[in-house]
Amino acid sequence: MISNNKVFSFLQERFPVEKLFIFELFEHKIVPVHKASWGYYTGGLTFLFFVIQVITGIFLLFYYEPTISDANLSVENLALNINGGFFMHNLHTWSSSLMILCGMIHFLATFAMKAFEKPREFTWITGILLLGVTFTLGFTGYLLPWNQIAVNATKVGLQSVQSVGQLLPGVLAQIPKTIVTTFQGGDEVGQPTLSRFYVLHVVFLPLAVLLIVSVHLLLVQLHGISKGSDEIPKRFEKFFPEFILKDFIAWSIAFLMVFILAVGLPFEAFLPYPLLEPFNALGATPAGIKPEWYFYFVYYPLELLPFPVLVILSLIVMAILIFTPWIFKNTSRKVLTYIAIAMGLYLFTVTVFGQQIYSMIKPGGG
Amino acid sequence: MYKKTYLFILSLLVIGQFNLKGYSFPQLEEFVAKHSGKPVNCAMCHANDTGPTGNDLGQLGHMTVAEMARVNIARLAMQPGQKVDSPILNRFGNHIVETVGMQKLITLIAQPQDLATALGNKSDLDGDGIADSEEYLDGTDPLNRFNGDPLKLFKINLSRNLLVIGIITAALGLLVFGLAQVIQGFKIIETLETQAVKDKD
Repeated sequence: MISNNKVFSFLQERFPVEKLFIFELFEHKIVPVHKASWGYYTGGLTFLFFVIQVITGIFLLFYYEPTISDANLSVENLALNINGGFFMHNLHTWSSSLMILCGMIHFLATFAMKAFEKPREFTWITGILLLGVTFTLGFTGYLLPWNQIAVNATKVGLQSVQSVGQLLPGVLAQIPKTIVTTFQGGDEVGQPTLSRFYVLHVVFLPLAVLLIVSVHLLLVQLHGISKGSDEIPKRFEKFFPEFILKDFIAWSIAFLMVFILAVGLPFEAFLPYPLLEPFNALGATPAGIKPEWYFYFVYYPLELLPFPVLVILSLIVMAILIFTPWIFKNTSRKVLTYIAIAMGLYLFTVTVFGQQIYSMIKPGGG
Repeated sequence: MYKKTYLFILSLLVIGQFNLKGYSFPQLEEFVAKHSGKPVNCAMCHANDTGPTGNDLGQLGHMTVAEMARVNIARLAMQPGQKVDSPILNRFGNHIVETVGMQKLITLIAQPQDLATALGNKSDLDGDGIADSEEYLDGTDPLNRFNGDPLKLFKINLSRNLLVIGIITAALGLLVFGLAQVIQGFKIIETLETQAVKDKD
C-alpha cells in the first residue's frame, strides 16, 4: 500500500539505494547485547567529535591567519570581536580533546572485546592508524594559536623526535632529523613550520581521517559488529532501527555536554596566563611548558626515564599495537579485559596525577 | 598654589633619578605565584611581561617625553581616587594605583595579601564575572575574560547562558523524538510490507 505511494516510488526510482550492497548489509546488521555493549557506541562518538571539529574548523578558517605575526592576533580577534567566535573556537578545542578521549576509550574497549579477531585484523590496523592521525591532528593544531605554550611545546616535541637519531646507527641516524626538518621547514620552529602545520592540520590530516575512516567503516560493515564476549550473546538487536536510535541519543547527550562546556568553560582557563601570551622569540622560555593533556602518557615518562629506554619501549608498544590481532590471537577476552584495564589505569594515573608523581620523584623539577 | 607646583616639580626631579630603572613590585608577583600555585609574570600589572625596566614596548627606555610625564603622574598619585594612565602599566596596574594610591601600595609590599582587600570586590575589568581582587589571589589574568579559575568561570557562564542551554536541550530532545518517530515509521512500513507479501501468498 505504502510502496505504491507516488512520492515514495518517485524517490525509490531516482535513488535506488537498495541496489547498494552496503545498504543490504546495513539492513541485516545486528548488534550483540551484553555487559560491554557500551563499547559499541564509543566509535560513533569519536566520529561525532570529528564532525564537530570539521564544521567548527571551517568557521575558524574564515578568520585565522597562518602567519607568525598575525596568528595570535587573529585568534584573539576571533574570540573578542567576532560574534560566536569564542564559542566556535572553544567548541573546536573541547571537541578535539573529547575526540581523542573517545578514541582512546574506543581503542581500549575494542581491545578488551577482542574486536581485532579474524577476519577483522585490518579493521584494527585502520583503527590504530586513525588513532595516530588523531594525535597528529592534536599536535599540529596545538601550534596554530602561536602562543608561548604552543610554540615551546612544539619545539620540545620536535626535539624529542630528533633526539631519536642519536640512538640509531649509521645512515639511519639522519632519518629523524630529516623528518623534523621536513615538518619544521628549517632549522628551527618559525613561519615555515606554522605554514606546514597549518596545511597538515586543515587539509592533509582531515582528508587522511576521512579516507581511513571510510575504509574502517566499510570493514565494520562488511564483517559486521564483533561479538565482543567469550560467551555467546543471549540477545541481539537490529542495527536499524534499535541500535541507531540509541546511537542518536548518545550523540545528542554528547553534543549537549560539549555545547555546555564550550559555552561555559574556556579551555584556556586551565592554563596559566603567561603561557597564553603571544610567542616571543627573544624572551626566555616561561615555566610550566607542557604538551596537551593527551600526550602526558608519553611526556612524563620522557621526563623521568632515560631517553633510550623510552624509545625502545615506544617501539615495542607500537609493534604490539600493530600486530595485536596476531599476538593476542589465542588470548581470552577476560585476560584482554585485564590488560585493557591496566592500560586504562596507566593512562588515567599519568594524565591526572602525572605532575604530582613527577614532583615526588624529581622535587623542584618541572 | 606655588608651594604645590614647587613640590610637584621637585618630586618629578627626584623621581627622574630612577626614571630608567624599573619601579615595580615583584613582591606582589611572588606572593601571587606562591598563593595560587600558578606561574605568573609582570604582565599581571605591567604593559610588558618582563616588567618596566628595559627598552622594549611598554618599558621605560621606550617612552617618549609625553609618556614619561604620564608615568610620573602615576608615580605621584599618592592618594586613592586619582586618575592615572601610566603607559608602563596595563589597565589592572593603573586600576591598582587609582584604587589604592601609591602611598598605600608601597606599604602593601610587606603584606601583599592585603591588596585584595584594598581593591574590594566590585571591580571586574574583563567582565568575566570574577572580581579583580579574586583574580589577583587566584593568579589569573584580570584583563582576559577567558582566563580565570575554571570552576568559578563555569558556574558564572552557566548562569549567564541558561536560556541558550535550555533551548539547545529542548531542540536536541525534539530532534531525538522526531528521529524516533521516523524510525518507528520505517518499522511500520516494514511490518505492513511483510503483511502484504503474506496476504498475497
